[in-house]
Amino acid sequence: MPLISIKVEDLEKLVGRSLTLEEIIEYITMLKGEYEGMEEEYLIYEATHDRPDLFSCEGLARSIRGLAEIELGLPRFNVNESKVDVIVGNVYYRPYIACGLIRNVRLDEEAVRQLMQLQEKLHTTYCRNRRKASIGLYDYDTIEPPIRYLLMPIEKVRFRPLEWSKEASAKEILTKHPKGIEYGHIIANYEEVPLLVDSTGQVLSMPPIINSEETKVTEETKNIFVDVTGVDRRLVENVLKIIVTSIAERSEGKEIYKVSIHYDKDVVLTPDLSIERMDLNTSYVNDNLGLNLSTEEVIHLLLKMRLGATHKGEDLIGVMIPAYRIDILHPIDLVEDIAMAYGYDKLEPAIPEEHYTIGREHPLEVFSKAVREIMCGLGFQEIASYMLTSKILQTVYMRLPEEGKMVEIENPISDRFTVVRRWLIPDLLMSIYQSRGSGYPIMIFEVGDVAWIDEKEENRVKEDRRLAAAIASTETTLVDGLVKLNALIRTLGLSVRYEPVKHRSFIEGRCGKVLVEGREVGIIGEVHPEVLNNFKIEVPVVAFEISLGALLNIYREKMGM
Amino acid sequence: MESAIENKIVVSKDEYKILELVIRDKVHDLEELAKRLNIDKSALMRRIAELESKKLLRIDREEEEYFEVTEEGRRYVKGGLPEEKVLRIIKEKDISDLKELYEEGKRHGISTNEVKIGIMHLARLGVVKIEKGKLIVNKERVEAVVEDRIRVRNVLSLIDGMVIGKEGVEERIIKELRQRRLIRSRKRKKIIITATRLAHEKMQKGEIVVARLITRLTPELIRTGKWREAIIKPYDLSVEVPKVSPGRKHPYMEFLDQIREILVSMGFEEMKGPHIELEFWNFDVLFQAQDHPAREIHDTFFLKRPRYGTIKDKELMERVKRTHEDGWITGSKGWQYKWDPRKALRLILRTQTTSVSVRTLKVIGNRNYKAFSLDRNFRPEALDATHSMEFYQCEGIVVGPKLNFRHLLGFLKEFSRRLGLEKVKFKPAYFPFTEPSVEGYVYHPSLGWIEALPGGMFRPEVLAPLGIKYRVLAWGIGIDRLAMVVLGIDDIRDLFNLNVEFLRSKARPIIPSMIR
Repeated sequence: MPLISIKVEDLEKLVGRSLTLEEIIEYITMLKGEYEGMEEEYLIYEATHDRPDLFSCEGLARSIRGLAEIELGLPRFNVNESKVDVIVGNVYYRPYIACGLIRNVRLDEEAVRQLMQLQEKLHTTYCRNRRKASIGLYDYDTIEPPIRYLLMPIEKVRFRPLEWSKEASAKEILTKHPKGIEYGHIIANYEEVPLLVDSTGQVLSMPPIINSEETKVTEETKNIFVDVTGVDRRLVENVLKIIVTSIAERSEGKEIYKVSIHYDKDVVLTPDLSIERMDLNTSYVNDNLGLNLSTEEVIHLLLKMRLGATHKGEDLIGVMIPAYRIDILHPIDLVEDIAMAYGYDKLEPAIPEEHYTIGREHPLEVFSKAVREIMCGLGFQEIASYMLTSKILQTVYMRLPEEGKMVEIENPISDRFTVVRRWLIPDLLMSIYQSRGSGYPIMIFEVGDVAWIDEKEENRVKEDRRLAAAIASTETTLVDGLVKLNALIRTLGLSVRYEPVKHRSFIEGRCGKVLVEGREVGIIGEVHPEVLNNFKIEVPVVAFEISLGALLNIYREKMGM
Repeated sequence: MESAIENKIVVSKDEYKILELVIRDKVHDLEELAKRLNIDKSALMRRIAELESKKLLRIDREEEEYFEVTEEGRRYVKGGLPEEKVLRIIKEKDISDLKELYEEGKRHGISTNEVKIGIMHLARLGVVKIEKGKLIVNKERVEAVVEDRIRVRNVLSLIDGMVIGKEGVEERIIKELRQRRLIRSRKRKKIIITATRLAHEKMQKGEIVVARLITRLTPELIRTGKWREAIIKPYDLSVEVPKVSPGRKHPYMEFLDQIREILVSMGFEEMKGPHIELEFWNFDVLFQAQDHPAREIHDTFFLKRPRYGTIKDKELMERVKRTHEDGWITGSKGWQYKWDPRKALRLILRTQTTSVSVRTLKVIGNRNYKAFSLDRNFRPEALDATHSMEFYQCEGIVVGPKLNFRHLLGFLKEFSRRLGLEKVKFKPAYFPFTEPSVEGYVYHPSLGWIEALPGGMFRPEVLAPLGIKYRVLAWGIGIDRLAMVVLGIDDIRDLFNLNVEFLRSKARPIIPSMIR
């Protein structure tokens, strides 16, 4: 979640009174944020992803004014229509645009930094690194409307990008400008690039890459023009709402002007800052929070969160939601706002009366535990390995063909973890290799889950709980394994026998199917010396692996369950 | 036979020899015993102490004075007293001149000084007289004095070490030897070993038997009762013995077993679900929009094989789709986008066991219950000391018609109390599928406040498509962190350390509050 840095002085100016650090931290916490510390003169906090309106000092100040009861209820914006038109061409791969104008802002160095930060934080979160949307800010007084949003063949584009001293071609910008290098891939597959130009032909920006230097916002800028372009209309419009309402906090009259967006077939006015209305029952609030608030108290708490609230009679409250609160989808979101304004520290933890339930462990865990206890009693050390492993370890090292039933990851982060394990014995061998310094015998076991592809299942995978064990010492033979496995099965009150079987991981003639009550549950054998060589193990190893799922079913039947 | 053996006292061969010496040969002095047995005194003392503990010997320590022959005395014992030497010369030759006597002494290897000492004593004894430089010998006294001197020398040769008063020598001789500084008195500690009455009796009746020393009991010794006639060699308990390691559970798995016990004791039933999951259950049902960043390759493992699953419950799919698109009947605005069923069928490794919670809700429905899961999840994190691509989550839901947010806080508080972490505080938080949401912090004495208990109430958009009308409290705790605190592990990779030596080195964990 995004880290935001603000200047306390700037915050105090926007809030309208001085604040102690403790107060600021308390308010940030109440707003789901987390204070991270001070870095020189900057205060750093982490905002939550659902509250983009708190990604800059302006929005934070607006919220604190409510919590500190300096200003309650809906923030007022002075929204008017402008005569600015934006004509949208056929920008087929980035078709949506929303624009707005904020007049009479007062900026200083920190204010400009906040605007840039807000833009950047929105870019990395909601805009998905500009892939889904990107934001441009301009000094309106350098622009001659109407503005056109269009596609231009890449070779025809020339302008002076931010921070460069002279004009450059789009190709140069894409290959040499830091922003071009970083974001060029988004438009790299197209011959034509999106462009915003004004009526004089001046390039405003080349979304989603970079703006022009001439239209840059500075401390002297009085009127700011904003555009958001992208692939998702709702997102584009929402991001604009966040930006313009934040910038408007720097305008004395909170003057926001709508812009007409002329699509091929219709005209849209942006930003749409209309208030959303939602009904809320006091009883709904109290039932969810376990509180006994009066309707007046609920209304007051809503006002503190900068929401509008009017008593509509009985316990019904009409709530008005400002446009920038894009996180409120449902009345339950209002309930959380009320809890936040009320203070989580004042919510008394409670244990519900009349909620008597009987607990129990999952049968497979109960059975696993029983098996693990017997294995420990037989002298084995339990180990635990990752379910993710490498295909080579599971197959090639074990002298097995790379068979097709393995569950494979498309985006692994390491060669060591590319598949979900199909069986446990390879990791036991790995453990023996890693424990070679601790002396023999090594007796280990693992109880864990394995998976393989099975088209019959809804998730195309069959999962199984397994027990695997291994004994390694200079004198180990198959008999050592049989002795222990016999003891385990006998202790469970079941019978076991073995049938010879061929398995490439084990020595031929020293490998058997394990049959419990006549049903096959697994395999036992002396590990093939070539496998031992692969794992760099220098003593003989006997290992077995059985399905605890299958064994549990046999056990249940035997016990008449 | 029993009683016959019972009357007997079993001693070792060496102990028996000591008893014989003390009782039969009446040797009581430790030094003497050591000499006779030809063993060193400290070894002898250990055996005597053993016999004392058997009430057969008594050890007494006393102080005594004895004579010690001086350096000069010892010389005279060897070469004779000076007066004897002078007498020998006088008897051979009639010498009256002193100078001549000195000369004669020198020829016999006797110093003039010694000759002078000899003459002095002979004079004292009345054998010679000096008059005007001439030596006058009283010949009648000579023989008697020679004899007397032999006696004195004899005494001198025997008196060394004798206890004063018990030497049986004439007072006169002792006095002379003392005056001539040929002997002096000394003090010493003495250990006296005497046999008890019991020892005398048993010895007489032959009831002290010699046993053999054995290092281990054998079935033969046990069966025949011969162990009674044997001495089992004692072990030195300070000696390092070989190390053994018990067959034991993995410390982390053991910790998880205890978490299960705690949750079961709180009335929770364990639930399970697949590790390989459809995005549908992992995200869509949880009302996480299909373009949510958590659903991208940086945060989720997608499968190469198999790629897509199926969902038989088409109605559920439709309800979820509607909820995402416009909120359906949940009272929500929804996410307002076109929901893609194909995306929902994509197979992944589950990123959260919350998928198990919603699967459980679908199956159990509207009933009063509490359920938990304690299983593994996966996220594409590069494995290092603080990150792991595989981690356990402890997930819980509480379902009931009248539950509220404070009850959630109550459960979180109670759970952490049972983990031994009594101090808890709650802060607002954001999770996509719960509202209101909370982050619980627990106080650890050495680590301070730890972010440990995230939870919330499932959103109506999650519950309505599943047909749940009750409220559901939910939490999902990253139990690995808590395990590391309890197990004293700093490196998250050590939770899955395959080295047996490492596993053996970890003390068996017990959650402190469980044994308080």
